[in-house]
Amino acid sequence: MKKLFTLLMIVSVIVSCRKDDSSFDGNNIQEMYSDFMVLSTFKVDKDSIDFANGEKAVFSAQFNKPVSWKISIKGQTSKAEKIITGQTKFIDATNATWNGSTTVFPMFKAENCIAQLTIDGVADTFQVQTKVKSLKVNQGLVIADFENGFSPSWTKFVQTGANMDFNIKNDTLCPQGAKYLRMAGTVNWDYLIGLIDYPATAYGTTKTLNLSANPNDVYFNCLIYGESASNPSIVLFQFKEDENADGSINGNSDDQYDYQINVNWIGWKLVTIKYADLVTLVNGQPSTPKGNSQHNPDKIGKISMLHLADPSQGFAACKIDYIMFTSAPLEP
Amino acid sequence: MKKHLFKYMLMLLSLMSYHSMAQQKRTVDFIGGARSVLSNNNIVVSDSLPDTTTIKRNSGGYALIDLGVDIKPNKNTEILGIFRIRNAYGGFWGAGVTFDVRQLFLKGVISDKVRYQVGDLNLKQTPFTLYNHHADRLDSLPSVFKLQNDILNYEKFYRDNTWRQQGVNVDFGFEFAKGIKELNFTGYLTRLNATDFSSIPERLMGGTTIQLIQSKNLALSYNGFSVFDVKGTVLDSNTYTNNVNSIGLKYLYELNKNTIVFNGEAGRSNVQYAEDFDKSYLADYFINASATFNWLKKNLSFTAGYLNVGPDFRSIGAQSKEIDYSSLTGYYNRYTNDQIIRPISLMDLIVGDSLYATSVSAKLNIANPIYNNAMPYGLATFNRLGAYLKLDYHNEKGIQLNAQHFYLNEIRGQGTLKLKQFQVTKLTAQFEMDKLFHFQKRMNIQIGLMNEITNRNSDVAVEKVDLKTMRYQLGAEYELFKKIDVLAGGMFLNCKGNEFIPQRNVYSTVSFFEEANYNMTQKIIAVGARCRFDEKIHLTALYQVSEYNDKLIASPKYSINQFALIYNMTF
Repeated sequence: MKKLFTLLMIVSVIVSCRKDDSSFDGNNIQEMYSDFMVLSTFKVDKDSIDFANGEKAVFSAQFNKPVSWKISIKGQTSKAEKIITGQTKFIDATNATWNGSTTVFPMFKAENCIAQLTIDGVADTFQVQTKVKSLKVNQGLVIADFENGFSPSWTKFVQTGANMDFNIKNDTLCPQGAKYLRMAGTVNWDYLIGLIDYPATAYGTTKTLNLSANPNDVYFNCLIYGESASNPSIVLFQFKEDENADGSINGNSDDQYDYQINVNWIGWKLVTIKYADLVTLVNGQPSTPKGNSQHNPDKIGKISMLHLADPSQGFAACKIDYIMFTSAPLEP
Repeated sequence: MKKHLFKYMLMLLSLMSYHSMAQQKRTVDFIGGARSVLSNNNIVVSDSLPDTTTIKRNSGGYALIDLGVDIKPNKNTEILGIFRIRNAYGGFWGAGVTFDVRQLFLKGVISDKVRYQVGDLNLKQTPFTLYNHHADRLDSLPSVFKLQNDILNYEKFYRDNTWRQQGVNVDFGFEFAKGIKELNFTGYLTRLNATDFSSIPERLMGGTTIQLIQSKNLALSYNGFSVFDVKGTVLDSNTYTNNVNSIGLKYLYELNKNTIVFNGEAGRSNVQYAEDFDKSYLADYFINASATFNWLKKNLSFTAGYLNVGPDFRSIGAQSKEIDYSSLTGYYNRYTNDQIIRPISLMDLIVGDSLYATSVSAKLNIANPIYNNAMPYGLATFNRLGAYLKLDYHNEKGIQLNAQHFYLNEIRGQGTLKLKQFQVTKLTAQFEMDKLFHFQKRMNIQIGLMNEITNRNSDVAVEKVDLKTMRYQLGAEYELFKKIDVLAGGMFLNCKGNEFIPQRNVYSTVSFFEEANYNMTQKIIAVGARCRFDEKIHLTALYQVSEYNDKLIASPKYSINQFALIYNMTF
């Protein structure tokens, strides 16, 4: 019994040893619900931004309490939009720096922009003006942006269906540059509407694309516009590796990785995938690669881009632009 | 030709049997399991405008086989490899077929003294070092849900409270003639993530337990746990470290023919990013002490405990939540014409394997107050101080009862100096009616209840928190014909009130609070029939209706009806 008493005493001493905490975690809730005041007005640090030379725009403001805020920067000509959000008492370089990238496509042009600040629970909005002097440069290997039309090195196949369109367009919907590709048609006997092959030789190499060998450092990106949700297009990219670099791709001994995009949205959207995350698909289902089963982006010999759709559902259409590889997810 | 082939195969099998008999120490066993699931689902959305966007019907399924080869080349070595072949229904000539290695380990004993295992490991230490708490689950699930939940547990390697890891584990011990009875050592080192030589560093997890058993009455232990990035595996030198050290005590006091067991663990943790030390360094301690009175004659045990886990206590081995509420569900993950994200329901908690993690993670998964607000990280939930009571009863007549009550306070306020109070009451019971009333046929009834109350009183109205959640469940199974059971069960949840959800930064500290208001009911009702071919093989057909009704209409009401046919076997 004595041992038991000693043990209980030890436990009691331990239990009573924590100090009272006189601070609290996070933002002050009482302050969160107090009247809102602007302590420093909404500003931008540059009237004109030279993104091509690495310049960035920094927005700033200060409030009396933490708020959920949103800055919407809109291009007055392109109608491009960049959205930056945060939940802080202040807006500064740490949370509101704009590098020229776009959230809502098309991409920005050299144009005047208006940045509007809105705050949750506050009726007033705040505006500043700035100007894009030159565009952000995205580093990477561009497979197709259609600015120079169809390359003679590409191979195009289009089914002979109804209302077929596999042409480069030049209109206000263009998200990047001045041109994009529209792929559309009704093919009621086959999923395939059309395809384009992009061989590695079209990009200044003799056999395979000049990309990093590390599949975790290679990202595939493109911008896709969904036209209709009733018969969604399927855009299938096939990355065909030439593992022994013999200049030919063997379907039975070389790996092929696939990226199937079900275009079930309307409007432009950026799609990005790391090369290491690609899988081999057969009829849309994961399957085992036929080669060394290793992702080798530096051994891509050809990329095939297929436009597919359910033949029983009729007309399908989508638009595509700015197909490129980057070393990090593209921030166009 | 076929006749000859058959004859040769028989001869070959005879020779193989002879070879096995000749070397009796060397054995090869085949183990594994097979499963087929076929399901058909339908979602009904009650929105202000009819939902014409969501595809309402969804059907599919798969068949898989896990084939394991258990090789014992000698009495001290065992090699196990389990391969999985999975085929989605609708796959054709290899499409939809995947081949995976599901499990691979090698274990053995060196010089009859040191046990080792390399490859896949199921690891746990203590509830504050390395432990999968399954914190949001309610025990004693009705059988009709448990058989679906068992598939999830199997897929995610959830066994007891272990985490599946890959690495090496070693243990050995010494026995002494006097003074100390035993001294046991266990150590492991596993790889949490592999470097990509670019931005992801090589991250390792290691742990040690030294247990000193003085006698059958007294045992002491030291537990060390560490997760660390290996310097130089990426150019960024902002390496992450999390260390936890604890000591444990177990003392058994004999009182007449009954026992009182004192259990205690106390320890300290620290976490930091090397380059962001000022922003990231957190250190704190914890104490968990309990006394359990075992009334052996009555099969009754009663526990009273004290819990004190500091607000800055961080142990990713014990605070990694198995469920990630920010993940999307496997199907119907968006609904309504606006294609908003479908909120996670009770049904997803039971079967939604896309929500569940397979490994510990440095990312602190957020809690969902609907399912667990008081102890989202189990006993290791930081910023909790209080006491608990537990009662456990079981008898040979087939009655199992378990009751728990936690009364906890915050130690540090969240957005205010005022502290929240939490009360959690859990009751689970299982009655084997066939044993109790001497029925010939199997009949079980399961009951479960969890009531959780969160309060924060303040003179300032906006600081007040009042959240009440009640979850209850009832299930039954009855052997209608020999080896054919009917199953039925229901789970219900009511949640009403408000809470402030913390938004945490990469260092797991609070950056912002968002107020959330709740007024919802959920229910899931299922009926089924199960044919037990034997204890390891069953075929079950079940139909269940799951309903999610948010009365604040933050998310429109929906219900999902599901029919499933599940064939499961192990061998």
